[in-house]
Amino acid sequence: MSFFALIARNVFTRKLRSSLTGVAVAIAIMTVVALGVLTHSLRLTAISVLRTGEADFTVAQKGVSDVVYSAMDDAQVERLKSYPGVDSLIGVLIAVAKLDSNHPFFLELGIPPDQLANFGVQVLDGTAYDPTATDQVMLGYRAADDLHKTVGDRITIDTADFRVVGIYTVGNVFGDSASMLPLTTLQGLERKPGSVTLAFVKVKPGTDIAALRASIEKDNPAVATVRTESEFGRVDRNLSLISAANVATSILALVIGAIGVMNTTVMSVFERTREFGVLRAVGWTRARVVGLVMGEAVLISLAGAAVGLAMGYVAIRLIEHVPQVVGVFQPDYPASIFGRALGMAFGMAFIGAFYPAVRAALLEPMEALRHE
Amino acid sequence: MSEGTPPPAAIQTVDVVKVFDGGLVRALDCVTMTVGRGEFVAVMGPSGSGKSTLLHLVASLDAPTSGAIIVSGRDLRSAGNERFRRSEVGLVFQLHNLLPHLNALENVVVPMFSNGMGHREQRERARELLKAVDLSAKEKMTPPRLSGGERQRLAIARALANHPSIILADEPTGSLDSTSADRILALFRRIREERGVTIMLVTHDMHVALAADRIMYMRDGRIVEGLPAGAPPTDGG
Repeated sequence: MSFFALIARNVFTRKLRSSLTGVAVAIAIMTVVALGVLTHSLRLTAISVLRTGEADFTVAQKGVSDVVYSAMDDAQVERLKSYPGVDSLIGVLIAVAKLDSNHPFFLELGIPPDQLANFGVQVLDGTAYDPTATDQVMLGYRAADDLHKTVGDRITIDTADFRVVGIYTVGNVFGDSASMLPLTTLQGLERKPGSVTLAFVKVKPGTDIAALRASIEKDNPAVATVRTESEFGRVDRNLSLISAANVATSILALVIGAIGVMNTTVMSVFERTREFGVLRAVGWTRARVVGLVMGEAVLISLAGAAVGLAMGYVAIRLIEHVPQVVGVFQPDYPASIFGRALGMAFGMAFIGAFYPAVRAALLEPMEALRHE
Repeated sequence: MSEGTPPPAAIQTVDVVKVFDGGLVRALDCVTMTVGRGEFVAVMGPSGSGKSTLLHLVASLDAPTSGAIIVSGRDLRSAGNERFRRSEVGLVFQLHNLLPHLNALENVVVPMFSNGMGHREQRERARELLKAVDLSAKEKMTPPRLSGGERQRLAIARALANHPSIILADEPTGSLDSTSADRILALFRRIREERGVTIMLVTHDMHVALAADRIMYMRDGRIVEGLPAGAPPTDGG
């Protein structure tokens, strides 16, 4: 029998205690995984908004709570176009409409039809809308599938009635789950004449992008430019807050899981005092006793983590079907989240079992053997 | 060791004192005694006479308040206690103290961790010891499924796991019927003959003590007599 086999035997012998500890770890890991995947995927979706059309960078109003609440007027857009390094600039208005209870956040993108190609829009079926049409709309293919609409069908968005003239893709979840209509039409419906949400900028070859962005931000203090994922928080405070909440929740889950492990391990060490006395009496070193207790905690935590990962996956699959996130949430499972879960499992085991392990190791053999 | 020099005693205590409760209880009072190599010694005495305390100090399970304990020529005050317990002594308790969730073979293997043997060697050694105590057929059984006598034989096999030179047994037959007790005593004698180990056995049962070569009688923390087996103590204890 190896030392590891003894650890495994001890864990499996005390099924109820091991299971309860494992459940505490599993719930903590599930929370971390589900929240991690949720925030990571929402972040990816939000970032994909800024990357649509393969722009070199995006301009938005600085410091808004959510990027869709950004607002820039015609004058600002024209000023941005005038910078020498700017090759092209597409102003897009983004609005949120409620279709029904299953689609409370349906996105509308207002884009001039002559800019669709520059924006990376590929029409899969039908045609693009007319520049001045007030009753024409294109649906992203995900939205069309979800709403069971095809070219020629009619759709009511808020109170306006539209005819679906085309089905498109832009290559990301956000855009493909939305609708597109002429910019002026959407500006009229939203009562935001001359206003856009985002400006997508392509620069001329050889332009120093960093210098251009710095120049724009210096001349226009109300706007921020975004090029990388890490800069997204500058124009969307909600996502920054969600990310911060995710970190805080992970820490809380670690603490709660560690307390769960500590609670059951302390009880276990107390109940097994005589056993540790025997082990010390037959010559086990203090270090080996620590290794035994810690090993048991690590094994239980890893088993709990495996269950927690599976529970986290199931939770994500359930969240996918929550109406509020349909269309904006496409689960992505980065390795870093699984690495964090594994690290947390080890963390819970070490933090939770350290004190009881040391307590077991410090037991004097005679004192432990007298324990009833 | 030069010719003519007597071999070091297996166990030697010099003026050993052990007090508990801050000196209120004097469990051992200047105990000086010697046990020779290969000797089978029984320590007798009434409850509270200090015989178990003496055994625990020799086993390095506890430390004396004062005095010296020398085992196999080594002063326990300077010896590494865990290594000493693992390699020099084998302990047998009245309540056997086996691990109930491990089977007989695994219980014998437990003390062998850290002794440098491979898993296969450990298993072979454990099987050899189970055979020596006549438990080969029950190596897969856990202690709760064994009889009292079988458990004590298993505890003896565990005590022998790391080739100790000394076996220290605290009331090993205290919870056994007379048939099982006789079998355990016969086993101790056979182990002493076959392996040459020194045995120090604590008991309050004269029948058990008579199985030893010599009886040390204790009262009030002192050794009052050292008698050859068969000679009754003169103080009537």
